[in-house]
Amino acid sequence: MSTNSTSEVMIELDELTKTFPGQSVPAVDKLSLTIQKGEIVVFVGPSGCGKTTSMELINRLIEPTSGRIILEGEDVTDAQVDSLRRRIGYVIQETGLFPHRTIAQNIATVPGMIGWKKGRMDERVDELLGLIGMEPSQYRDRFPKELSGGQRQRVGVARAMAADPPVMLMDEPFGAIDPITRERLQNEFLRLQAQIQKTVVFVTHDIDEAIKMGDKIVVLKEQSHIAQFASPEEILSSPADDYVSDFIGQGASLKRLNLTRIRDIEMATDTPTGTAHEELSTLRQRLAESPWSTMMILDDQHRPMRWVGGRDLNRANAGEDIAKLGLPATATVEPQATLSDALNELITSNGGVAIVVDGSGVFQGVVDIESILTAVRTMREENSQFYLAQKEISEAID
Amino acid sequence: MAVAPAPVVETESKQSQTRKKLALFGTPIFIITVLLATYLWISSLELDSIEMRVLNKEVLTESLMEHLYLTGISTALVILIAIPLGILVTRPSLKRATPFVLGLANAGQAIPSFGLLTIVVIWFGIGVQGVIFGLVAYSTLPILRNTMIGIQQVDKSLIKAARGMGMSTRQVLARVEMPLAVPVMLAGIRTALIINVGTATLATFFGAGGLGFVIFNGIQLNRDPVLVTGVVMVSALALSVDYLAGVIGRLASPRGL
Ligand SMILES: Nc1ncnc2c1ncn2[C@@H]1O[C@H](COP(=O)(O)OP(=O)(O)OP(=O)(O)O)[C@@H](O)[C@H]1O
Ligand SMILES: [Mg+2]
Repeated sequence: MSTNSTSEVMIELDELTKTFPGQSVPAVDKLSLTIQKGEIVVFVGPSGCGKTTSMELINRLIEPTSGRIILEGEDVTDAQVDSLRRRIGYVIQETGLFPHRTIAQNIATVPGMIGWKKGRMDERVDELLGLIGMEPSQYRDRFPKELSGGQRQRVGVARAMAADPPVMLMDEPFGAIDPITRERLQNEFLRLQAQIQKTVVFVTHDIDEAIKMGDKIVVLKEQSHIAQFASPEEILSSPADDYVSDFIGQGASLKRLNLTRIRDIEMATDTPTGTAHEELSTLRQRLAESPWSTMMILDDQHRPMRWVGGRDLNRANAGEDIAKLGLPATATVEPQATLSDALNELITSNGGVAIVVDGSGVFQGVVDIESILTAVRTMREENSQFYLAQKEISEAID
Repeated sequence: MAVAPAPVVETESKQSQTRKKLALFGTPIFIITVLLATYLWISSLELDSIEMRVLNKEVLTESLMEHLYLTGISTALVILIAIPLGILVTRPSLKRATPFVLGLANAGQAIPSFGLLTIVVIWFGIGVQGVIFGLVAYSTLPILRNTMIGIQQVDKSLIKAARGMGMSTRQVLARVEMPLAVPVMLAGIRTALIINVGTATLATFFGAGGLGFVIFNGIQLNRDPVLVTGVVMVSALALSVDYLAGVIGRLASPRGL
């Protein structure tokens, strides 16, 4: 996740209030919040607590009743609204792709409005499609209805990033899709964010998503009152009050598996590997020399294919296709997947390990349950040290 | 990340393609067949002098031209009036006028066409001009209503996305609402055209000619060949106009919908 050493304030909300016409109580009541540059801040809370309203006050899709919005040090509460919005990327849950415009035209919406030249726009569209893993030549000229739901969500994100706005507002951007695709899109976005370092305000009602995506989490109560504004670690380990702990719900400790990512823990890279083209004797020797009882057969692009053991190699010797022997290489995770993702995969896997692959599916190594447990143990120790230190400080103050 | 496999874009089945072709060529073939059959039948008859007075090239062409003129001008006027009006009343500031405008247009269509035409012609005077005003009053509703519905049915999330990206209300109208309303608006225009082709048949009673002249003569002179010719010509015209409007509608609708 992004950590910025120079903590610069990007967005400042000052007692922002919205009372909808005809209502006696405000939907958002005196919301004050400071968001640092380059961090993902997640608004989380139950339905109707004012998350969407709070977010839409920032780009003034909803005009505040009172209070101020300061963007990059500039008071934009009364600024020209259309040009303000062009500086703020905006992703809505329904994706809102224009059905009558191609993917390229959709992505180029804001660049087109701010007068980019055609060549620059085309380049940017292709760059963004590449970034979200969609082959430009294949998808550029399609219409939204010719994409899957997950692809549409991705294009929605790409469209919001098109003019490279410093701030992105995302309202449940991965809400309306199946859990597997959602997880993939979350991971993709985190990987992207590591590169682009945007300031992101992210709305969700799912605490697990908040923990996974957020550098900071704002837990909101009704009328957008802040129950707690803190890092995911802190929210999990020391919820501010009963409201927050109720909202986190059961299994707070299990949720902490969402805090650590595969890339942060030790993985085994000494797994013997080979390809189907290699001599069987070479493969057998490589397996014999390693401490492992099985080896990983990779395809030509070095993507995991099968787990095979010594006996499988013998059968291959007898003429059977090595690509059909052993067990399929299931349970793959990318480095930005959380330990929780990995554990999930691991439990259903063939080899009792999760296979780590990079963005293009190339084999990196494996993690087993031991390495995950070690990581959890370390995390606990760090936390207990943190509390011990806290205790000492507070005793010293007393 | 792994590039997701291209989703299977629905390829149209052979069956539905044949059905489409039938729809595309079936109507013109039908129209031509009926016209040809009528022509052959009339040619095989010995026409008396009364029949000859109407069933000749000059009169028929003139009636057809008058009919086309009345229909064309009135429909063009209706489009010019009803589309901007329909857009206007969907603007937030004018939403309150909606029931009033719709009510007026509804009344226009609810009054029987002959009655409405009579009222308007009395008002504007006998002749082409009066009839055109009558046709306009009578066919405003479908275009007005479809323009409003077409714009109102645009998914609100699209408008929110467009506004959120910094489009002005005018840009949202031009780039999102209007294009997405086009198919519904075109359907309204098609309906108005058909109404006008039909109603223009009455123009002859108000001294504006048209194919109604042929039909009216057929009835008055008690000559079936004349009557049938008139009816066939109006029907063929209505069918052709409907067919062409359908084809244009399909071509003019934005892709991707
Ligand atoms: N346009 C509006 N007019 C009147 N009241 C509104 C409007 N939009 C939202 N509200 C009210 O404001 C409150 C907060 O709504 P908001 O949409 O911000 O909630 P939310 O936290 O995003 O909920 P959800 O998780 O269901 O999306 C709700 O009580 C809602 O009824
Ligand atoms: Mg919401």
